[in-house]
Amino acid sequence: MDIDEFMQQFSTSKGVSNISKIRENIVKLDLTKEDSLNFFDSIKSDFEHCSLISAIDNQPDFELVYHFSCINQAIVVKDSDCAVMLEAHVYLKRDAPSIDSISNIWFGANWHEREAFDLMGIYFIGHPDLRRVLLPEGFAGHPLRKDYVYEIHEEEW
Amino acid sequence: MSSKKVRGNPSLRRGVGSQTTDSDKIMEDPPAGDWLALRSDQLLEWIDNSVYNVAESTGIREVVDRITRPIFNFAQRLSPHPLHFGIMCCAIEMGQASAPDHDIDRLGLVYRSSPRQCDILIVNGPVCEKLRPKLKTLYEQMPEPKWVIAMGECAISGGPYWDSYSVVAGADTFMPVDVYIPGCPVRPEALMHGFLTLQKKIRAKEPGMFLRR
Amino acid sequence: MAEMWISMGPQHPMTHGLWTLKVKVDGETIVDADPELGYLHRSVEKMGERRKYFMNTTLTDRLCYASSTTWTHCYAHSVEELMEVEVPVRAQYIRTIMLELQRLASHLMWAGAYMPDLGHITGALYFWRDRELFLNLLELPSGSRLLYNFIRIGGVKRDLPNGFEEKTERILKLFEQRLDEYSDLFENSKIFRMRTDDVGKFTAEQAKNFGITGPNLRGCGTKFDLRKHDTYEIYEEIDWDISTREAGPGYSDCFSRYMVRIDEMKESVRIIRDCFKKMPAGATLASRVPVRAHGEAFRRTEDSRGEAMMYVVGDGSDRPYRWKIKSPMFTTMSACPHYLKGYKLADIPAIMGSIDICIGETDK
Repeated sequence: MDIDEFMQQFSTSKGVSNISKIRENIVKLDLTKEDSLNFFDSIKSDFEHCSLISAIDNQPDFELVYHFSCINQAIVVKDSDCAVMLEAHVYLKRDAPSIDSISNIWFGANWHEREAFDLMGIYFIGHPDLRRVLLPEGFAGHPLRKDYVYEIHEEEW
Repeated sequence: MSSKKVRGNPSLRRGVGSQTTDSDKIMEDPPAGDWLALRSDQLLEWIDNSVYNVAESTGIREVVDRITRPIFNFAQRLSPHPLHFGIMCCAIEMGQASAPDHDIDRLGLVYRSSPRQCDILIVNGPVCEKLRPKLKTLYEQMPEPKWVIAMGECAISGGPYWDSYSVVAGADTFMPVDVYIPGCPVRPEALMHGFLTLQKKIRAKEPGMFLRR
Repeated sequence: MAEMWISMGPQHPMTHGLWTLKVKVDGETIVDADPELGYLHRSVEKMGERRKYFMNTTLTDRLCYASSTTWTHCYAHSVEELMEVEVPVRAQYIRTIMLELQRLASHLMWAGAYMPDLGHITGALYFWRDRELFLNLLELPSGSRLLYNFIRIGGVKRDLPNGFEEKTERILKLFEQRLDEYSDLFENSKIFRMRTDDVGKFTAEQAKNFGITGPNLRGCGTKFDLRKHDTYEIYEEIDWDISTREAGPGYSDCFSRYMVRIDEMKESVRIIRDCFKKMPAGATLASRVPVRAHGEAFRRTEDSRGEAMMYVVGDGSDRPYRWKIKSPMFTTMSACPHYLKGYKLADIPAIMGSIDICIGETDK
């Protein structure tokens, strides 16, 4: 399938908006939190590799950015060897930072979600084992949030 | 050296913040018939102190130390057994130093996997909060006499991670360090110089058989 | 037989790097595993938000210490996309040469650490002796053996020194002869084959679902390499091939993953020679690199261990607002219960060694 056909096919999916193309091989779109699991279910055969889940603290709300990549060339760019990727942005409110987990679809998303929980405090509903992965067990707080305060022993420059 | 009956400097040797046991104090003779009430480490400490007191008061300790100190010292400084432990980039240079081009194994180094069989702990990377208790345990599992080398900027003072929320500002905040090797990363030649400096320190300071300072 | 959990703790001679692997064994057979990371978490992402864009290259060098130029390159590549900076052609050739030399040094480090796991300590000495040659070569342009800070935003720090091409050619010729010797020493060794054949198998489909990329995926027969399929720098002008192997139809084992890396070393030698032939004269740093940046950028590059990705968000100031690092080893290690199950306790060093772990990039 060509990348433009893919964009046309999925631009009318429930919850998808602002679909566009970065460079020539990345499809970028915005997704709502409630329809995210259905959308990811529908693309799982095309994009079989979950590459990255990043959590960003745009004060005051959170943003989750999902990146998926297509290795088996189900979707191609015309006249090019370039592999296609999908970038999905989901916006979450600060007082309810939770979203459905996709670890049952892609096993590779398991630890990415644990890290987003560990460092940013986003809850993934349905995750089999949501606990801290990088910081020690008794650590208090979520350090990558912008309002996390810690002591630095020298002055700012 | 000194004829004090204290076993080194208790607060430094046991490390800051570790629990101190009853055996820190000098044991007096237990009441007669109460030998079985002592724990094994208290019993050993009591025997050790009794032998030391007898040797000191009769003057045998001076003689034995004068003979054994050079021999034990010679053996200790020319066969350092470091622990097989690597944290970060300096560990790669530590491994590369054993490679044919630099070959620090000619100083007598044999890397051992178990801390019970080692002399030297080389801290070769930043110490994170999660690692600190495990490193403390490793240090306490090593038998005396033991030395610590802080290799690289991260182990000396936190290095490039001075403003991190999870890196401890240097290995000497929780364990006594003998040699500091600067560098980021430390070149194998500098590591060899560090070991030679440690050998000089052992020669100058270390005791013989009775392990007193 | 009773099952029990054994902890191969942070200090262990065979787990390369500082992590804990708890395995549940039934006799000698592995039933389950639970890896634990975080002993090297230095909060590089948070520190990067306090530093200006050009200062972060010292932090990215130390992300993966065995393969440091590739991570600095990934960072510089993403920030160049963010700031819309064009890198001059000569700088792209120099970057490619440094990346391939770094790939050689990293694979030699891996091979030298893998051999003692299988009991073959002589292998460590041979591979690390050759790695020393490449470290000396890498020291000539950059000044440091291990953490270079050579690739900057917009190009490279300085041009290659005089005589670099002749020295490199001499060392590459010597290295090729040695690689042929090693293939006789290791691949034809019965004990090496017994320990690595049919051990640690996973299929390509499983690997893609687990998030495994790089030489581990190419060992399953999948022909996918970011240098061809999402190309960057000057790789499309160079004449080279993707190296794949498979142990059987669509699955890999330790031996095929080992052979993929040996093949990649041979391809790297080819790439370096071709780069020297085709390199033009010109500038080595972009003439105007902005200080402030706004927007977001995502780039991925082929690190020695898989796909390294960085996602940078700028808010108009001279420091990054958010910087996310993805390491290929993060997801590979999360899947270790799956490819360790069913094998014996003594197979753990062979399997985890063939995956090629570097904890520095995983723990950030």
